[in-house]
Amino acid sequence: MGTNDEQEIENALRAYGDRVRLRQKLAAVQAAVDMDAMRQQADDLRSEPTPMRSWWTNYRTTLAVAASVAVVTTFTSIFVYRSYQNGHQQQQQQYSQLSKEIQAVKSSQRRILNDLDGRGRALNAAVASAQIAGTGFMLTADGYLVTSNHTVRDADSVYVQSQQGAVYKARVVYNDQPHDLAILQLCDDSAFRQASTAVPYGIDPRPSDLGERVFTLGYPRDEIVYGEGYLSSSTGYQGDSTAYQVAIGVNPGNSGGPLLNEKGNLIGIISGKQTTAEGVSFAVKTDYLLKTINSIPTDSLKGQPLRLNKKNTLTTLPRKQQIKRMMACVYQVSVFKHRQ
Amino acid sequence: MSNVMKESRRTTLTDDELLLGLADGSDSALQQLYRQYFPMVLHFVTSNSGSEDDAKDIYQEALIVVYEKVRAGSLELQCQLKTYLYSVGRRLWLKQLAQRGRYIVSDTEQSVRVDDDMTDHEERDRQFELMAESLDRLGEPCRTLLEDFYIRHLSMQAITDKFGYTNSDNAKTQKYKCLMRLKRLFFAEYKQ
Repeated sequence: MGTNDEQEIENALRAYGDRVRLRQKLAAVQAAVDMDAMRQQADDLRSEPTPMRSWWTNYRTTLAVAASVAVVTTFTSIFVYRSYQNGHQQQQQQYSQLSKEIQAVKSSQRRILNDLDGRGRALNAAVASAQIAGTGFMLTADGYLVTSNHTVRDADSVYVQSQQGAVYKARVVYNDQPHDLAILQLCDDSAFRQASTAVPYGIDPRPSDLGERVFTLGYPRDEIVYGEGYLSSSTGYQGDSTAYQVAIGVNPGNSGGPLLNEKGNLIGIISGKQTTAEGVSFAVKTDYLLKTINSIPTDSLKGQPLRLNKKNTLTTLPRKQQIKRMMACVYQVSVFKHRQ
Repeated sequence: MSNVMKESRRTTLTDDELLLGLADGSDSALQQLYRQYFPMVLHFVTSNSGSEDDAKDIYQEALIVVYEKVRAGSLELQCQLKTYLYSVGRRLWLKQLAQRGRYIVSDTEQSVRVDDDMTDHEERDRQFELMAESLDRLGEPCRTLLEDFYIRHLSMQAITDKFGYTNSDNAKTQKYKCLMRLKRLFFAEYKQ
C-alpha cells in the first residue's frame, strides 16, 4: 500500500468535496438573499455616478499627477530658495569685514592727561562713544587719509585719532564701494597741523609676487598693533582680482590698515578675512587705490589736490625703524551713526 | 430583539473575521458577504451586459476563489476585501465575456491585479472538473462510497451499515480499492 499515493488522491478528493459543499452552502445562502434589496442597492450604485463623479473618475489620474507635480515643485522651490539663502548667508559669514563695532571704547587715561584742553576732552568723550572703529592712514602730509569704505559707510561723523592720542574730525571725501575704499580729509579741522615731513612709504602699483613678506599696522584695540605675514595668493575672496590673499593675523579694527612690503612700499589696504579658515586675510591692491584716487571728482577735493608722495624713505631702514616711522601716519578711525 | 442583536453583531465583522468565517463555512459570515458585497458585483455584471444569474454565478465563483486561497493559506490581501472581491469577479466576468466575444465597457470600482491568483484558480478548476469526471466514470457503488466518506463525511460504521458490508474492515478494503481506481482515472488525465 503506497500511503503517499493514497494521500495524493485523498487530498484531491477532499478539495473537490470542499468546493462542492461550499457551493451548496453558497447556493443556499444565495437563495435566502433578499434579491429586491440587492437590486435596490445595485441601482443606488448605478445612479451614483453623477457628472461630477464621472468627471472625477476620468480625470483623477491626471489630477493626482498634477497635484504631485505641484507638491514636488513647491517643495523643490522652497528647498532651492532655502539652500540659496543659506549659501548666501554662509558667504557673508565666511567673509568678515574687519571694522570693529564698539559698545564703549575707553580712552586711555594717558591720552586724556596728555590733552588737557577742553576740546580734547570733548573729542575723547566722543571717541569713547563711537560705534565703529577701523584703521586709516595718511595718503598725504596735508591731511588726506584712506580707510575701508565699510568702516565709514552711513557715518554721521568720523573722527580719527593718532597714535599720540590727537583726535581730529574727518570729512569723507569719496566712497568707492566696489573696492571697499574711502578717502578722508582732516583739513576741515582747524586743529590739524600739516605734518612737517611727507609720508614715509612709497606706493607700488605693480602686482606683488606670492611669498612677498608684508606687514601692517592697525587698531584692533586702542593701542596700535603690528602684524606681519606673507602674500599667499594674487586674488582675494572667491577669486576677487582686485584683492590679494594675505597670510597675516588681523582682527576687527584692522580694516583700512596699510599693507607694506619689506621695502616699505604700500601694496594693499586690509579689507577683510575669511572666518572659516585660519590666517586667510584680504587686502585691496594699491592699483585700485590709485584708480579710486583718480576717480575723485575735483569738486570733492575743494581745491586741495591730492598729491601722492613719490619718495619712499623706508627702503633702507630696519623693520623697527620702518614701524616707528609708519606709526605716525596710521590713525584709528572712529565712526558715529544714529542709532536706529 | 435577538434578531436585532444578531444583525448588529454580523455587521461588525471585519475583513479578517469574514475570511475566517468563509473558511469555516460560517453562515453568518456568508450572509454578510452577500449582503455587503454582492450588490457591487451585481451592479458591475449587469452594467456590463450580464444578467442577474450571471452575477450570482460570478459572485459565487469569486467567493470560491477566496475560500480556496484562505484554505491553502496563500491569501495575502494587499487591499480591502471589497476591492479584492471586485477584482476577482471582474476577471471572471471578463473571461466569460471574452468567450462570448464581448468586452468590458465600464469599471464600476477600482481594481487590483489578481493575475497570479487567477492562474492558481484555473489550475484548481481543471482539477475540480477532472475529479467530477473521474467520479462519474468510476461508477457505483464506488462513487457514492467515496462521496459519503470524503465529501459527506460519514463514518466508516455508517458506510458499513448503508452498503451492507459484514464489517467495517471490509468497508475499508472496499473504499481503498475504489480510491485506487479513482486515482488511476484521475491521474491518467491530470498528469498529462
